Amino acid sequence: MKRLINIYTMSFLLGMGLVSSCKKEYGNLNGATIEGYSHDATKDQLNGLVIGAVGGMRNSEGTYLDAVGVIGREIYRFSGADPRFATDLLGQDNLTLNNTAFYLANPWGSRYRAVKNCNVIIDAVANTTLIPDNQKKAYTGFAKTLKAHELLMNLNLTYSNGIRVDVDDPKNLGPVLNFDQSITAIANLLDEGKADLTGAEVVFSLGDGFDGFTDADGLIKFNRALAARVDVYRQQWSTALTDLGLSFYDLTGDFTTGVYQVFSAGAGDQLNSAFFPQNNTGEVRLAHPSFTTDMEANDDRAAKATLRTSPASYGGLSGDKDAWVYTSSTAPIPVVRNEELILIYAEANIQSDNLAEGVKALNVIRTGHNLPVYSGAVTKDALITEMLKQRRFSLFFEGHRWVDMRRYDKLNTLPIDRPNDDVWSDMPIPQAEGL
Amino acid sequence: MKWTMLVFLNVLLPTLIFSQGRTINGRVTDAKSMPVPGVNVMVNQTKQGTTTDVDGKFSIVVPDNATLMISSAGFQSQTINVTSSQTDVQVKLLEDFAKLDEVVVTGLATTVKRRNLANAVGTVSSKELNGVAPAQTFDAALNGKVTGAYINANSGAPGGGISVKLRGVTSVFGNTQPLYVVDGIYVDNTTTSAGLNAVTGAIRDGNITSNQDNASSRIADLRAEDIENIEILKGASAAAIYGSRAAAGVIIITTKRGKQGKTKFSVSQDLGFVKARKLLGVRQFTEETAGSLSSNPATSAALKQQFLDAQSAGKLYDYEKEVYGKTGFLRNTVLSMTGGSEKTSFYFSAAQKDEGGIVKNTGYRNTSLRLNVDHKITDNIKLGISTNYVNSSADRGLTGNDNNGVTYSVSLSSTPQFAELHPDQFGAYPANPFAASNVLQTIALMRNNESVNRFSTGFNFEAQLQRSRKSVTKFIGRGGVDFYNLNTDVQFPRELQFQAVNKGTAIQGFTKSLNTNYILSLVNTYDANDNLSFTTSAGYTQEIGNFNNLLDVATQVAPGQTGVDQGGALSALQIRKKFENDGLFIQEEATIKDGIILTGGVRFDRSTNNGSTTLKFIAYPKAGVSANLTRLGVINTGFFTNFKLRAAYGQSANFPVFESRFTTFVGSNVSTIQGSIVNIQGGDAEIKPERQTELEGGIDFSVLNSKLNFEITFYNKKIFDFLMLRTVEPSSGFTTKWVNAGDLRNQGVEISMNARPVSTGNVTWTSSVSFWLNRSRVTRLSIPPVVLGSFGTTLGTFQIEQGKSATQIVGVDAPNQPKGTVVQLGDQEPRFQMNTFNEVTLMSKLSLRFLIHWKYKGDNVNLTNLLNDFGGTSADYDANGATRIGGYLGGSARGFVQNSGYLRFREIGLYYTFNKIPGNIIRSVRAGVSLNNYITITKYVSYDPEVSNFGTGFSTGVDVDPFPASKRAMFSVTIDF
Repeated sequence: MKRLINIYTMSFLLGMGLVSSCKKEYGNLNGATIEGYSHDATKDQLNGLVIGAVGGMRNSEGTYLDAVGVIGREIYRFSGADPRFATDLLGQDNLTLNNTAFYLANPWGSRYRAVKNCNVIIDAVANTTLIPDNQKKAYTGFAKTLKAHELLMNLNLTYSNGIRVDVDDPKNLGPVLNFDQSITAIANLLDEGKADLTGAEVVFSLGDGFDGFTDADGLIKFNRALAARVDVYRQQWSTALTDLGLSFYDLTGDFTTGVYQVFSAGAGDQLNSAFFPQNNTGEVRLAHPSFTTDMEANDDRAAKATLRTSPASYGGLSGDKDAWVYTSSTAPIPVVRNEELILIYAEANIQSDNLAEGVKALNVIRTGHNLPVYSGAVTKDALITEMLKQRRFSLFFEGHRWVDMRRYDKLNTLPIDRPNDDVWSDMPIPQAEGL
Repeated sequence: MKWTMLVFLNVLLPTLIFSQGRTINGRVTDAKSMPVPGVNVMVNQTKQGTTTDVDGKFSIVVPDNATLMISSAGFQSQTINVTSSQTDVQVKLLEDFAKLDEVVVTGLATTVKRRNLANAVGTVSSKELNGVAPAQTFDAALNGKVTGAYINANSGAPGGGISVKLRGVTSVFGNTQPLYVVDGIYVDNTTTSAGLNAVTGAIRDGNITSNQDNASSRIADLRAEDIENIEILKGASAAAIYGSRAAAGVIIITTKRGKQGKTKFSVSQDLGFVKARKLLGVRQFTEETAGSLSSNPATSAALKQQFLDAQSAGKLYDYEKEVYGKTGFLRNTVLSMTGGSEKTSFYFSAAQKDEGGIVKNTGYRNTSLRLNVDHKITDNIKLGISTNYVNSSADRGLTGNDNNGVTYSVSLSSTPQFAELHPDQFGAYPANPFAASNVLQTIALMRNNESVNRFSTGFNFEAQLQRSRKSVTKFIGRGGVDFYNLNTDVQFPRELQFQAVNKGTAIQGFTKSLNTNYILSLVNTYDANDNLSFTTSAGYTQEIGNFNNLLDVATQVAPGQTGVDQGGALSALQIRKKFENDGLFIQEEATIKDGIILTGGVRFDRSTNNGSTTLKFIAYPKAGVSANLTRLGVINTGFFTNFKLRAAYGQSANFPVFESRFTTFVGSNVSTIQGSIVNIQGGDAEIKPERQTELEGGIDFSVLNSKLNFEITFYNKKIFDFLMLRTVEPSSGFTTKWVNAGDLRNQGVEISMNARPVSTGNVTWTSSVSFWLNRSRVTRLSIPPVVLGSFGTTLGTFQIEQGKSATQIVGVDAPNQPKGTVVQLGDQEPRFQMNTFNEVTLMSKLSLRFLIHWKYKGDNVNLTNLLNDFGGTSADYDANGATRIGGYLGGSARGFVQNSGYLRFREIGLYYTFNKIPGNIIRSVRAGVSLNNYITITKYVSYDPEVSNFGTGFSTGVDVDPFPASKRAMFSVTIDF
């Protein structure tokens, strides 16, 4: 018995000794952690977060453009692998938009992920002592601008169902605000961004998509361009004109000047997911047949819908033209560009009863696309119709049509291709938000 | 010198004391009067013992009126009283049909006889595993043979990929597969993706890997032919002593070892073929229906014309048959050698398997070398070594879910019979206008290969430190190293129709995995008196794991090239995992009157995977009691030859998923500038491991002279703090976050019966029948119900919800329910399962063996037909397609939740043994034919009811265009020299 106890204790002590002497802690082997930014972040770390946010703008962009493009009756998206592009999004028969489906959940999540990165930047800047104040303000100014844009993209999806704006603390998320509160918050965020950028010094790179807008002044112009768009969404016409003046709006300038999402095949980079080659089968993006039938003759924007070698069909729909806006896997996607600003200028003037100025802007668009000058009635209603028409063709497949028809209460004018199809006015809040 | 003297004396002392005794000579034979070597002969009350030699003879010194205990594996033990005048003993051993004397592992270093076991430990013998109809991989060989388990093949792809779930759901996101221990080596069973998601897009938005990539798991490398027996510890009550990795059970595998005696050779050759078990058929078109594939009048007319042209040229093809209808040839050659002297014995085997698949360019090859050596350094010090090298290569094709239209069945789902996919006279494949890929081109040009080189070495060291009349103390050291190199090679050349954007994709994966473990323990057996003995064991264990997986994805690959440096663009993914577990254990077993066994033990465990509790030891206790009422005399042996009551309790834990503590950043680069963006998965620094407690009770009894034996077990397995990747509000920036979300419980019954209904001289029939069922329930959930494991509520999905079965399947069900309301539509858990294993032997020469497995009810989510319906090619589209689509469009998922019960004749084998071969060289020849998975009776309409698009995890039974299951027929010859 005694021997038993001796052996017992001996082995136990041996074990304890062996074991307590080995302290092992494997940190994370596969990436940086959030704790690493919360105290004295360096300039290089912050620059990495900035690029991360810029890159994050592109996540799920193909899905977003597909969703708003299909609902807005700009494109057909046929997919052999997923029927929901042609069923749920078009409201076939009894189907409705599903609050767990990818067409909502993926863009929604991707936008908030970029917002999170921006919040980490703002947080890190507040807690670092290694960077001078005027450089700090450039970081926060840019982060707030980008954050506002990302929130706006989600508000485009859920519209009257609103979005959350205060999402800094994941354990304590702010409430879902209604449309008015949300859009006001976005406008305020843009104003704060502009205030921060004023007099700041930019020491970070932004990638090729921001060429021409890389310093504080350039970023302010970008910020005001977004503000002008938000102003017309809020129907604040004179503010819109003011903001246009502070942006890169140029009535005689190139339509393509602006800020873009850029793509490449480099390591850790992305390719443009809104691109399919022409005449693809199985996975197709077609221009809605009404795009070419509603267009005036000689309009050079007809090149955005190219004739296929053979038509494509799916679920009772068919079309013979590919949507040909993004023409390669590295083609850029505009965030905001001068052509949209010119159209905003037209819209703001028409709505403020400066009809002549509105016509002038619309003619810049028309002549720029090989069309004769406007010859229709010069009344507010007729000009609004013309302005929406020009927006439709100029900004085809850039994510605007559904939003424009909705804010002008004209969703019921969009074509219904199959009996029992529906035109949705907004998407539900994703189920994962737990509401 | 003094020390050796002491040891010598200690060992010799008993002999000296008893040198006044006399020598007994004896011989041990079996029921057929053949001598049995290696039988243990022990003198009762002393620790004197010896073993019989090659002729079954032994010689031992005994005191007056001694009792001899005779025991040997596979035979019933006997006790023989030797009277004072007796000098000669003849022993005839009877087969231990009820296996009551079988020795079973109960701790990390201890064993106990089955008649005294407090747990229901499952066993699978070598004959059951491999002796009926050999399966392609080890995990497939287990299918249908484990009571209490749900074993499910993920798909029919060559090379394995099978989920083994013991006693229901152990975890939702944590490990659901048991720990495999082979000869003391903790082997790795990871599933590593080859990065197919980069091409299939099964999970959208840029991921390179997903759990839908149909990868195999590494336990498939092990050769079933090398296995002597398998013990299955099904839950914490048996496995607690294995600590934090034992929550899903432990499968202990012992490979064959050498025996003393003449060296024996055995060569066996199998030849056979494999075919798809079932094909679904394709739609037969007419001119009308061909036109109806499009609503556009011009296209419709063109299709009609295309159909008529194809019909008149005789070019209407059954592409499903062309793709899946190939017959693969199988061959397997095994050479094994075993022999030994008194001190050293060895087992050597070399095995080579080469199997074709049912799809062109798919198949599986496995070459294995094994050497097991046992050596007695002295009478008291033994060393055993097991070494194994495996080289395997699996070509698995491209199947399963995808969003790019490139997997075989997804591509077929929209390709009608009048499409032309065959290459022209230049060997160029036409583009398929009906889908994103030409399936014949994909099969011909693509490559998806997993190649493994695996080295496993284990050692087992036993030294007797102390021996006296009453107590023996041993030191047992056991450990092993398991290393493998897994190379995955995925090639999609630029000629492929769907590579128009990427212009060629090459994905090469390199994985190195090194697992080492060791156990150092002391075991003491103490006989207090005739009726009371104690076995105490205590020790220290350590396991270290190191996993490094690198995936390189190259696109724009140069024509004809496969290297990743031949691409115009390259991106990489690296996953590294390291863990270390330390444990201390103590276990005590008390045997009272050889009828009551009490055991208790505890393991203290810590793991680097735990959250803030990394450095803390967590205790996992276990306890058990078994009362053998017949041995104790409480029940008289008459009707019952054996009657035992038992109960056991244990606690264990499950690994927290690696990195669940961390919130990390991942790369998001723009214009070649490095950027970091938060990962969509948020971590929890306070994460705790999942804990499990299991209470098990049962009755074992034998009647009719042990010809009929029953084992009945009830269990209640509770899991606390199970980990969920909770879908958090995406507005937080994360999509998911690790949390300890709640508790769940599994309750079930296992009933096994084995019998020998017929046992005459010429005919024997042994049969075993088992019945088991499991019911699970989520007892607590601190977060809202979570939908997971499938494609959302419109198609049928799993949902973890408080108060409901953990495996329930829910979905929308208009018009039975308001539009959009989610209700339960089914449950993946089978109502019950039964199996029966039978062997009928005629004249000891002809033997028929078969295994039947019945899974009663249990639902799958079947989406294969949906895709075929949407593509307009399902075989019964004209009759039923519109109704099915209507159900889905009407807002109901009920049509997809289908009963996947089946009655399967898994294995049937007929063997004939030639025993009397003229000449001295060949001892026996055995020839046989076997059928594997040949007959399945099921109402389920898809390739096979056993399927899992999401691999071996919580989600199982989701059917999306899998690689079809197959049936095998083999002819084998085994020659023993």
